[in-house]
Amino acid sequence: MAIATVPGTGIDVGSQAPQPPADPRRARRNRRIKDNLTGYGFLAGAVICFAFFSWYPMIRGVVMSFQRTRRGETTWVGWDNYDRIINDPSFWIAWKNTLYFTVLALILGYAVPFFLAVLLNEFRHAKGYLRVLVYLPVMLPPASALFLFKYLAYDPSDAGLFNAMLKAVGLPTSQWMQSADMTMPAMVLASTWMNMGGAILIYLAALQNIPGELYEAAELDGAGIWRRITNVTIPQTRLILSLMAMLQVVATMQLFIEPLILANGAGTQDSATSVVYLIYQHGFFQNDLNGAAALGVIMLVALIGFSAVYARLNAKQD
Amino acid sequence: MAQISETRSLISFAQVSRGRGKAIYWSLLITVLIVFTLVFIGPLYWMVTGALKSSPELAQTPPTLWPSDPQPANYSDAWERLALAKLLFNTVYYALGALAFQLVLDTAAAYALSKLRPRFGNIVLGAMLATLMIPAMVLIIPQYVTVIDMPILDISLIDSPFAIWLPAVANAFNIFLLKRFFDSIPEDLMSAATMDGAGSMRILWSIILPISRPILGVVSIFAVTAVWKDFLWPALVMPSPETRTISVGIYAFSGGTPQNVVVAAAVIAAIPTIIFFLIFQRSIMSGLTAGGLKE
Amino acid sequence: MSVPHFRRVAAIALAAGLGLGLAACSTKGDDEADAAGKTIITVDCMPVGAQKNLLQAWNDDVKAFEAANPDIKIKSVSVGTQCANPPDFTARLNGGSMTDVFYGYMTDVQQVIDSGQAMDITAYANKDNIPTWDDVLADAKNTFTKDGKVWGIPTKNYSMGLVYNKTLFAKAGLDPKSPPKTWAEVRDAAKKIAALGDGVAGYGEYSSGNTGGWHFTAELFSQGGTPVSADGKKADFNNDMGKKVLQNLKDMRYADNSMGSRQLLGWGDLLTLAGAGKVGMFVGAPDATTAIVTQFQGKYEDWAMGPMPGQDGPAKGTLGGGEGYFFKAGLSEDQIKAGLKWLAFEKLTPGKGQFDYVRAKGLGEQVGLPQPQLFTPGSASQKAEFDLRKANGNIAPEDFAAFENNPVPIKFEPANAQGIYAILDSAMSAILTNPNANVDAELKKAEEKVNQLLAQAAK
Repeated sequence: MAIATVPGTGIDVGSQAPQPPADPRRARRNRRIKDNLTGYGFLAGAVICFAFFSWYPMIRGVVMSFQRTRRGETTWVGWDNYDRIINDPSFWIAWKNTLYFTVLALILGYAVPFFLAVLLNEFRHAKGYLRVLVYLPVMLPPASALFLFKYLAYDPSDAGLFNAMLKAVGLPTSQWMQSADMTMPAMVLASTWMNMGGAILIYLAALQNIPGELYEAAELDGAGIWRRITNVTIPQTRLILSLMAMLQVVATMQLFIEPLILANGAGTQDSATSVVYLIYQHGFFQNDLNGAAALGVIMLVALIGFSAVYARLNAKQD
Repeated sequence: MAQISETRSLISFAQVSRGRGKAIYWSLLITVLIVFTLVFIGPLYWMVTGALKSSPELAQTPPTLWPSDPQPANYSDAWERLALAKLLFNTVYYALGALAFQLVLDTAAAYALSKLRPRFGNIVLGAMLATLMIPAMVLIIPQYVTVIDMPILDISLIDSPFAIWLPAVANAFNIFLLKRFFDSIPEDLMSAATMDGAGSMRILWSIILPISRPILGVVSIFAVTAVWKDFLWPALVMPSPETRTISVGIYAFSGGTPQNVVVAAAVIAAIPTIIFFLIFQRSIMSGLTAGGLKE
Repeated sequence: MSVPHFRRVAAIALAAGLGLGLAACSTKGDDEADAAGKTIITVDCMPVGAQKNLLQAWNDDVKAFEAANPDIKIKSVSVGTQCANPPDFTARLNGGSMTDVFYGYMTDVQQVIDSGQAMDITAYANKDNIPTWDDVLADAKNTFTKDGKVWGIPTKNYSMGLVYNKTLFAKAGLDPKSPPKTWAEVRDAAKKIAALGDGVAGYGEYSSGNTGGWHFTAELFSQGGTPVSADGKKADFNNDMGKKVLQNLKDMRYADNSMGSRQLLGWGDLLTLAGAGKVGMFVGAPDATTAIVTQFQGKYEDWAMGPMPGQDGPAKGTLGGGEGYFFKAGLSEDQIKAGLKWLAFEKLTPGKGQFDYVRAKGLGEQVGLPQPQLFTPGSASQKAEFDLRKANGNIAPEDFAAFENNPVPIKFEPANAQGIYAILDSAMSAILTNPNANVDAELKKAEEKVNQLLAQAAK
């Protein structure tokens, strides 16, 4: 995924222009200015949107995390917002929950789609059908899928789908979202069901790019199925695997709608409170947008730190 | 469906086309077909029938496989109470608007960055790509504060579709995809046109865009699904019932609506996307796998 | 059209489109007067479409009001079933997208003032604009007054009691006319109701979405406690009274198993169960029955209400709350007066608007609820309202008699209520979902957190 290098100027387009005029230098400069202006014209719309909705908010987020607004008046308050947010009783709980979700989701939501993709890639029949199946939940509006889990599957009495199934096969039933221990696994399960299709399709695309000769050679060397997976499949898809791991960690760290709908927010005994939910609580329940912005900055720093460490580790492996 | 690809995969054709291998292959395939159908279609069945149950039946143990006394009224109730027609319309309106804005502005920007290459173009590109590192949620508060009182313009975009359309344009990933595709279009194609005196707009319109249909399809799918699946942002910038999206609307009403009606609304909300998906599944699939993250 | 020309046109069109669009959204609905010189005001909390009768009544009122005041035009906006659902309310308030006259809870007053989006209406809140103003309960008016300035007009005032299902009471062999008066009696009744089986819970309780903390506070008031010390600096529930609140719940939930298996309930979850006839009793305000019927498929004839239970005798206090309307900053004098006139008509005149019992009865709505307690007992307005209510009442008077005849002192919610409730949710959910949860430990944990929160809030 290398980004093609962009030559800095529009000069090469300009140099193609026919008929040299009287003062070629001046004409060429005019031409260049005109080309640049055309370029800026095409860029303008997107740049304005980036400026308003990405670049400016980045700065604004940092600035407002050091301010406090009351009755329309904004004052500088130093580190007060950070102090307040770090001392929020739910601050560390939210981080612990979010990291726990991330780790669980990596185990379930990362490994499972990969092995399912490996499995699906072997089938020569019903390929289209299976692909449509796994991608179907991805297309559901998240609220639809989560209410399905909340009301019809995770019901703590035996009226829910999961408990009815467990009971039917004689296994102990669960309290699901009402059990502090089950909250996270239940959210990961729902989230994986909802999102797994995208990852599977991307892995399938990567798997199809593996040259068949590599498997052939490995088989001739006497490698069994498992050895072929570890020696051929995984190394050959390493780049996409590491990219997906990174994307998934960043996505799961932003956990919000699952706790909001499945756990009514905080969940039992704060077992579902996530960092983004805490941002939401502060911003929109406790009327503390500045504290919420400070938490956003903390999260940004944490994620950038994670990305840097991850990139470092990855670079070392190469 | 039984299309056979030329390259072999983990297990060779020879192994699965006869004897024990064949038996294992077929039993595995059938098992997977059954399990996957149950896992991915089963819940949808459960949802459709769950919404047909009465409140007491929904709370009944053990649950019934088929509602003993189907209540289609739950669906009409959901349709009316939640004003689902309005919510669906809003969501489609926002999604198509976001699509239009992205197609116009992001394509223009990618074209400029790839072909016109104005001065400082790569700095702009770098600044755009830098936003890829920043997850949406961490900026949500300052973005929200920006939208409620736009700097310079001094207006509020709350409850206005522009609060969804314009931020959607600031999508570095789509610009990156488009730019990379444009980069692969040979310069010769365009220099010929330039010789003929065609301007940048005509080159974009009549040379670049026609070749770029596949990538435009991918970007369109991303643009539409992003709006359709987004939750927190529309929840914040569209706080009024008339402007809500379908997901936000269902959530907002879930607190004050019986569960069977909420589930009925969830089913209705899922129908358009499922139909959209089934119609376009071929292009969505190939778009996702080919255009998305492939080297 | 030559190519560069076309390009320029396209660029201009795009820029103009953007600009026009942006301009278009900045001008929505802020006109003060229309062409005919009418004063226009927007008002929110119009009933939602599902509440057919209430919506019809509202629309009829708007028509009647406009006919009586030809110089005023009312534009109504519906903002959902819960008109001031905290995150949406905050979002509207921050975004300035409230209506000219906007609905809020009593507990929102501080937030509304802090936002700088509301108007001080002290100069207008008087008998000239609201004829019954002097009869409005001083307590209700005070909740909308800060530092001597009036910020809002109260339009409803309620206190909590014990809402119960008469039908289930009768089935369980309990006397539907004499609801439990103490927590011990609640526990006995819950046990008997739960014994009916079929997934029926004897007693239902919240524990999520900040509602658990809200009910903990209500039940703490009934014990004579208060969540926060008088100076507002310390948590004050880690004591005998707080323990009794949680112990009562723990006993019902696990010792008796009389609270059903579904917990972690929010507002709508509990009312859904109530509407389905799966809950015997819960703590709530009189209009919980209205919600059960108009929104949750329940039946009026099932429900009645008693006073808030106490530990050993009558409750020592109950949580009171209320709602009202604020005025958006920047309204013209005419608009403020028009808004007050509308509120006076719709919310504060016996026989009109929300007190139009004749019409409500005709629509088949419940008449006779001891709510919205807005007028000072003994005042002319209160008497007029009371007489009308008695004359048109269509609910059995005894259904709410126990509640009405046993008044309990009303206590109001603390400052920083939402933050405190979020913390207390955790204690409530622990007690209701974890059989091994320890009452003392949960209270201690919550106390530490609330102290931390209050220390930060004081800065």
